[in-house]
Amino acid sequence: MRLRIALHNEAFEPLDDLARWHAELQAQSHPRSAAESLFIGRVRGETADGSALAALELEHYPGMTERQLEQLAQDCGTRHGVRSCLIQHRIGRVLPGEAIVLVAIGADRRGPAQRCCQELLEALKHDAPFWKKEWHRDGSSSWITGNTPF
Amino acid sequence: MGEPPANGIRIRLFAGLREQAGWAEQHWPLNAASEPPLTPQQLWEALQLPGPLSSIRIAINQQFSRADAPLNPGDELAFLPPISGG
Repeated sequence: MRLRIALHNEAFEPLDDLARWHAELQAQSHPRSAAESLFIGRVRGETADGSALAALELEHYPGMTERQLEQLAQDCGTRHGVRSCLIQHRIGRVLPGEAIVLVAIGADRRGPAQRCCQELLEALKHDAPFWKKEWHRDGSSSWITGNTPF
Repeated sequence: MGEPPANGIRIRLFAGLREQAGWAEQHWPLNAASEPPLTPQQLWEALQLPGPLSSIRIAINQQFSRADAPLNPGDELAFLPPISGG
């Protein structure tokens, strides 16, 4: 499985990153996958309590986060027999509307591609050390202690 | 900051737990593997960290581990509050 994982501390454009990933795979004579499943997560404009959000701050555990993402991707990709996996994740201050995460899975069939994409996204939400802090418009902030509903 | 001294435990806190405790990193002296072994549970209590350890995940040398896992000199121990990625 071809795997790429990157953490961005500035805004990234998921579809541009995806195009670069495709070009890189093609340059390595990696045939285009017949099935590809994508997930893009963006910051909503409201906090957990419904008030306006100024920004999200994403903290991570340098070293462990990258290793854990790689382990989760290898395990999930092997389990589903997929051909390629791209994970891009933001760290630092992220504004409403900006992308937080991109997961792109290439496989021979739609079933493995979709299942792996969904499972890997849930795995990284629960088992990769990231933490989100909500910044409110009044300058106050609070840590989020769980994930949004599925 | 930096690499942990070989004769101790580097203890790290993150996110809300770091803010509650008021520190990000401490060094705990440990010259040799103790008997009975020192554990994350014992350090949590000795450092009087806030809240129940049951809500916290533990990593030793950047791998998820258990509260009763034995610690050795040179280990990096992290207490991780609830994760919210993606």
